[in-house]
Amino acid sequence: MSQLAQYIAEKRQQKPILSMTHVVYGYPSVKESLDWMATLLEAGADFIEVQFPFSDPVADGPTIVAACHGALHDQTLTVEQCLKDIGQLGRDFPQARIALMSYLNPMYRYGLEKLVKRCAEENILGLILPDLPYEQAGDLREYCAANGIDPVWLVTPVTPKDRLAFLASEASGFLYCVARSGVTGNSNHNGGEQQSLDEYLAEINEHSNAPIGVGFGIREKAHVDALKGKADVAIIGSALLDAYNKGGKEEGLKLFNSLFNA
Amino acid sequence: MQSNNGYYGEFGGSYIPEILYSSQQQILHAFEEAKNDPAFIAELKDTWQNYSGRPTPLTFCKNLTDHFGGAQIYLKREDLNQSGAHKMNNVIGQALLVKRMGKKRVIAETGAGQHGVATALIAARLGLECTIYMGAKDVKRQYPNVFWMKQLGATVVPVAEGAQTLRDALDEALRDWSSSHEDSHYLIGTTCGCAPFPEMVAFFQSVIGEEVKEQSMAQFGQYPDRLYACVGGGSNACGLFLPFLEEKQVEMVGVEAGGKGLELGQHSIRLSNGLGQKGIAQGFATMFLQDENGQLQETHSIAAGLDYVGVSPIIAHLAQEGRIQMTYAMDDEVVEACSLLLKKEGIIPALESSHALAGAFKDAPNLPKESRIVINLSGRGDKDIFNVAKAMNDATFPEFLEDYMADYNSDNEGEA
Repeated sequence: MSQLAQYIAEKRQQKPILSMTHVVYGYPSVKESLDWMATLLEAGADFIEVQFPFSDPVADGPTIVAACHGALHDQTLTVEQCLKDIGQLGRDFPQARIALMSYLNPMYRYGLEKLVKRCAEENILGLILPDLPYEQAGDLREYCAANGIDPVWLVTPVTPKDRLAFLASEASGFLYCVARSGVTGNSNHNGGEQQSLDEYLAEINEHSNAPIGVGFGIREKAHVDALKGKADVAIIGSALLDAYNKGGKEEGLKLFNSLFNA
Repeated sequence: MQSNNGYYGEFGGSYIPEILYSSQQQILHAFEEAKNDPAFIAELKDTWQNYSGRPTPLTFCKNLTDHFGGAQIYLKREDLNQSGAHKMNNVIGQALLVKRMGKKRVIAETGAGQHGVATALIAARLGLECTIYMGAKDVKRQYPNVFWMKQLGATVVPVAEGAQTLRDALDEALRDWSSSHEDSHYLIGTTCGCAPFPEMVAFFQSVIGEEVKEQSMAQFGQYPDRLYACVGGGSNACGLFLPFLEEKQVEMVGVEAGGKGLELGQHSIRLSNGLGQKGIAQGFATMFLQDENGQLQETHSIAAGLDYVGVSPIIAHLAQEGRIQMTYAMDDEVVEACSLLLKKEGIIPALESSHALAGAFKDAPNLPKESRIVINLSGRGDKDIFNVAKAMNDATFPEFLEDYMADYNSDNEGEA
């Protein structure tokens, strides 16, 4: 069994839903971003999804795009330093796990094989690359299998049924279920959507052997509660960044606690 | 040019967020069907002819030929298309495909604004809703095109992210498409992006080279010896070159934007001098201008339409294979070439196309007198009036603008 899936299964014995909090590495500075990650882990976050910034993050909405551009504006970020930094973070908080998210190009330039090896060394068990579809990821899948790392596939409400079944069956660490169309950051929850989200998650559960994470549009406790019993991990990204931008760690923490510790 | 499952050698492919999978597959199948459907091809040709004015002429330039004393110079007059550029060929094709797929809205990115205007034109004609993404910096330097897009009923969204140029507009168009894919088509303007866009846009643009084949046989009884095209995204180059790929004796030269110099940020040279490196971004693999950490970099050209960080995977592949020779022209050489064409032939070229002219003019004197070269005059230069006036240090243009502004303001005050 995948180390990541096992971790989720064990933690789920104690909690109805786990938390994955997204943080942009290097925003507003490397030190502040690492400090913010540590704060979230102290508050009980089960995962940190660390986004290594890319100049052209096409799957992200305005909040995360601005943070990525901000992080790249007046400093040079290297994948190697990021891996070292978040590896250390993982060692400081052994009860939690770190997943690395980025776009393909910076990872491709660093070298995909080296990336996966280094992730294994730093105990970064999950790798999320939203612009690398399963079909194009032959090499990466091979490296991941050899190193015990889970490539995290995404499915969406418009993924065709047979493809959804296939991707769900291929998932190992966890399957990343995008809750709605569009880029990160918008929220358009309503009653009708909740029902279709339930049906979508039921469909995924039918095919998936791996735990299920749900992201995109989670902003309130009700959104998290609605996932209990249907998913394993609630992923919170733009809403957390919005709160952080508004009132720093304090405001961000308030949101995190209201979603997961209330 | 047929791709190998979306790839051209090591370039191309389909690297898109999962949310776009279904829409991308829909386009793939719709295009495959349409290009084999005689009714679609007939409608395409009819619209090219009766709406855009095709075929465009192949114009012999006697004065330029005499001036250089070398190769005989011909221009393929894509500037005479409806909208004033080759961009029309592609938007007609894709818009007809949009109708076929039953979608109601088109999204497009634009740099110089030529593709934006072309898209807005065809959207107005076919009754499609139209949203154009344009870098905020490009909105400023190409405002006349923005004005026309708006008048045509399009929504123009200035993109204030990043460097505020074509690359950022493309990112934003992709984001729009991610949330609107069910009723919207991303009408990409060049031979870039995920499969099947490079192949599809090249297919619609290949009418350029197909016409040159017929026209060169009719005018001088053989194919040209050399072809020249500027290379931004690569669509006008693909259009002229690809029909000649199997004609091994026909040499092809692509001209990139050298801008102000060869330091990173000063140019848009992706395929010469080892300045670009292979990368995977914006949906496809190609040669990008990027730093060692894989971050895409800012680019520059006097021609907004060439100011792009990536390049067609088809051109990248053919350049790597040596089938196309790549060169570049600097901003000042481009303005000089533009000026020479104005004075010698009475034709106003776009600054983008003036890169192809500059590249060809360098070679022309050294080529045999009996050789024939065809330069793709991809667009007309009216849109560049402000930038060319500035580049030529025209003394009276600022006066005109001041007077115009005074007049504009007093008229508006009178109305209020």
